[in-house]
Amino acid sequence: MAGNTSGKTAVGTWIGFALIMLWCLFPVAWIISLSFKSEGETAAGSAQFLPKEPTFDNYKAIIDNPDFTRALINSFGIALIATLLSVIFATLAAYAIARLEFKGKRLVLSLALAIAMFPVVALVGPLFDMWTTFGLFNTWPGLIIPYMSFTLPLAIWTLSAFFREIPWEMEQAAQVDGATSWQAFRKVIVPLAAPGVFTAAILTFFFAWNEFVLAISLTSTTSSRTVPAQMSFFVGPDPFNPPYAQLATASVIVTLPVIVIVLLFQRKIVAGLTSGAVKG
Amino acid sequence: MTATVAPEKDVTKSGKSGKSAKKPASDRSSAENKLGLKLVAPAVVLMLLVTAYPMLQALYLSLFRYRLTAPDDRAFVGVDNYLTILSDDQFWLSTGTTVLIMVVTVAVELVIGFAFAMVMHRIVFARGLMRTSILIPYGIITVVSAFAWQFAFSLNNGFVNAWFNWLPWIAEDTNWFGDYWHAMFAIMVSEIWKTTPFMALLLLAGLAQVSEDMLEAAKVDGATWTQRLTKVILPNMRAAIMVAVLFRALDAYRIFDNIFVMTKGAEGTQSISFLTYRQVIEQMQLGLGSAMSVLLFLSVLLLAWLIVKLFRVDLAQARGEG
Amino acid sequence: METRSSTGSRLRPRSRRAAGSVAALALASSLLAACGGDGGKPELVWYINPDSGGQDAVAEKCSTDDYTISTQVLPQDAGQQRIQLARRLAAKDPSIDLMSIDPPFTAEFADAGFLAEVPQDAKTQLEEQGTFKGALDAATWNDQLVVFPFWSNTQVLWYRKSFVDKAGIDMSQPVTWDQIIDAASENDGKVAVQANKYEGYVVWINALVEGAGGTILENPEEGVDADITLGDEAGKQAAGIIEKLATSEAAPADLSVSNEGTAGSTFGSDQGSFLVNWTYIFKNYDETAPDVAEDIGYTRYPQTVEGEESRPPYGGIGIGVSAYSDEQELALEAAQCLVSPESQGINADLTGNMPASTQGYDYPKLKEQYPADLLELFQTSVDAAAPRTVTPYWSDVSGSIQNIWHPPRSVNDDTPGRSTTFIEDVLKGGDLL
Repeated sequence: MAGNTSGKTAVGTWIGFALIMLWCLFPVAWIISLSFKSEGETAAGSAQFLPKEPTFDNYKAIIDNPDFTRALINSFGIALIATLLSVIFATLAAYAIARLEFKGKRLVLSLALAIAMFPVVALVGPLFDMWTTFGLFNTWPGLIIPYMSFTLPLAIWTLSAFFREIPWEMEQAAQVDGATSWQAFRKVIVPLAAPGVFTAAILTFFFAWNEFVLAISLTSTTSSRTVPAQMSFFVGPDPFNPPYAQLATASVIVTLPVIVIVLLFQRKIVAGLTSGAVKG
Repeated sequence: MTATVAPEKDVTKSGKSGKSAKKPASDRSSAENKLGLKLVAPAVVLMLLVTAYPMLQALYLSLFRYRLTAPDDRAFVGVDNYLTILSDDQFWLSTGTTVLIMVVTVAVELVIGFAFAMVMHRIVFARGLMRTSILIPYGIITVVSAFAWQFAFSLNNGFVNAWFNWLPWIAEDTNWFGDYWHAMFAIMVSEIWKTTPFMALLLLAGLAQVSEDMLEAAKVDGATWTQRLTKVILPNMRAAIMVAVLFRALDAYRIFDNIFVMTKGAEGTQSISFLTYRQVIEQMQLGLGSAMSVLLFLSVLLLAWLIVKLFRVDLAQARGEG
Repeated sequence: METRSSTGSRLRPRSRRAAGSVAALALASSLLAACGGDGGKPELVWYINPDSGGQDAVAEKCSTDDYTISTQVLPQDAGQQRIQLARRLAAKDPSIDLMSIDPPFTAEFADAGFLAEVPQDAKTQLEEQGTFKGALDAATWNDQLVVFPFWSNTQVLWYRKSFVDKAGIDMSQPVTWDQIIDAASENDGKVAVQANKYEGYVVWINALVEGAGGTILENPEEGVDADITLGDEAGKQAAGIIEKLATSEAAPADLSVSNEGTAGSTFGSDQGSFLVNWTYIFKNYDETAPDVAEDIGYTRYPQTVEGEESRPPYGGIGIGVSAYSDEQELALEAAQCLVSPESQGINADLTGNMPASTQGYDYPKLKEQYPADLLELFQTSVDAAAPRTVTPYWSDVSGSIQNIWHPPRSVNDDTPGRSTTFIEDVLKGGDLL
């Protein structure tokens, strides 16, 4: 009887496993397949899943497309700088929240929560107005600054949850042993906190890499337009037909960094996603 | 909201208990107070710079008739912009569409996400592979997801019509972006595909907190699978479910990317975010658009409050039954 | 001595320094992005609508020892082009020198003061080269010429010769919309038009309304108080045709999302019969489907009402010089070269977008590429074309029409009346768009 149910469960788990894999990978397989279809094939209409005659032409065209490569550079640059700065500021704040007693702590947390829920579109108008006044419209900092602000809540959240788990007594022990507080922090705490910081950085990077509303609203040329925005304005060789295959190719290319990050750091990402939010 | 803040409460406590032993002096605590404020200051300033200040500016601009391409025609109009919006059909239609997307996607994600979480919880093989795979939709750019599904549903280049035309309501030439329900279906599929992994991972963390002993005890007592699910598993996961629903619902309420790419708001699929975007960016109506922004912000707050409220009621009922 | 950091101090990184250097990096990178490589010679930046290389070629041709013209491509959709340009101009951005502007948005840009005035000698040149009246009208706001007409586009009725043979229609006589819809329905053909929720759909609606002797609005100089006349008889006749097509067998499956490109695909498919589309279609199938290219016939845009001359759509591009350009003098000089008959010819040859002047049509290569009767059809069509009303509020008018008239399946007798009320409300700020 018991063997029977566990057997059934095992079968169920196997089916579930297969379904999840299908769910996650099938659409990815679809854009990869589409990216190998020729421009002629999609222009004539190609309802089949696999390409008739696979071709690398789209990849060549995309890599030769200066607008796209420029957008890739923008995306990487903006996302990396925003991530770095956001994590630095979040680390300071999270340390204070996890370790220090100060007035207004609850206020900071409520603020972070409110901003995490903020409808980004609501800011587009006033931000556009401000940025044109300050000359930040259509520049890298014009996107980096709001990206930092919107990733700070997530980063503070994740980091303070991580910092809470750190055995801070070790810092005191080191201080007792004669280390200065700075040395104690650097030698003892930093290595312990690094994984958390790293996790926060990955989640922040994903946000900045994905962001679309601000990217289309606060940029207007390739000098600062990021990949999601560039893709939505993508023009192929035929100015009237959407370049299906090339868009799919661009999709595959911008998904590669995501896959690499996920392959390398899946454990950390899962930990980060679930640590801050759920333990309660 | 309390549940989401709860972990931070613990943070506060553990921080205090860790310290009170070693730093009792009051000058020490005033120094600590200062240091704490200094450390959070940059983050707080940044967050306020990009949200509070623009929001105040939006509040101010929303009282004007002000259009970017007609800057001379700027005039104070009081709350007229708000009245215009609130008496407008499109505003309510967009709100309805947005709420529909939110309710359907979150409900579907909750069910599928829970099933995924159960599988991931149970599974003993290929855990890394599965986690890696499930993070791909999570990490993929929403615009990419929208394009992938738009092409899949495309009339000339999609496989959906070709594969599923044996279904009575799908034909070889079904135009998925040609009417409200089909287009909404396509948009929701894209949204659900991308965000279910997030839901599943949050629920997985919740599942991990359900004690195996309790489940075992319930089993011994002869509880059926459904009873164990509703009486043991779900009540013990309430915090996780609540956080997942709160985050996803607020996220879904702000839906924009998928609609922008897939329909550009045609066929009535315009969401409230998209409507705001159109006023502000496309029509360059900074006055009217700012009023929309303020209303959008308020509706998000209202929604957050409602979800928190609703869940408390539900949980109380569940406990009452148990 | 303190300023020079010794190796020792570098080994002790401080978070503040790190933050500072990152901020500096961000600033540096943005500066780098802002000023691309300038080597003394001024660079004029021309924002172009996407095409197959015509404007790039002309930009290269018109670059001189005094300046280089470089191009930046705008998005594909005319509405998006307007947004991208207008937002930067509203911010008084000096980095735009020249821009390709779609006719319906010319008035809005001029009214907002975004455009530099076209000087007298340029005006004389444009008249001398025989710029079409329609092109000049579309380029004029408040009696001022505000852009340089570059190319003038119009639509004709394209048909598949094999199809009309099968259906037995005489294409040498003017045809009506009713006729082609019926012919297509009866012979398993599809009539390809542009009816997605975008500017191209309004192009079609406008042509239908004008073809019935009506107009979308009158007295545009009144601004938001202009008279909306879309609800009149002509509007109803236009709605009748859209309704008829949308509910007929001849409606393509993708009617409600069709644009120039998808309509071209429909026309090239087995069910292709009739297509209204811009001039570039003639060369569209040369490489991808030579058998279709062989089969293309063309005639004047269909009539809305039998016996009443059709009013084909007017399109094209005018080149505007930004009022905020740092190099306005040079830009005006460059614009004059960009719209010279030769430039117009080069562009037409490469893109299929026809010249805005009679002298442009004299470009020899054009005569080799296109049959004489087609070039003549293009010119008579441009002459007869009905431009969309020149008003600074066109984007509101057009957006309102798109809102009410889309999807085409929903169009009925009430549609014109409803859209009239809606446009009025939107213009007066009483309704959201």
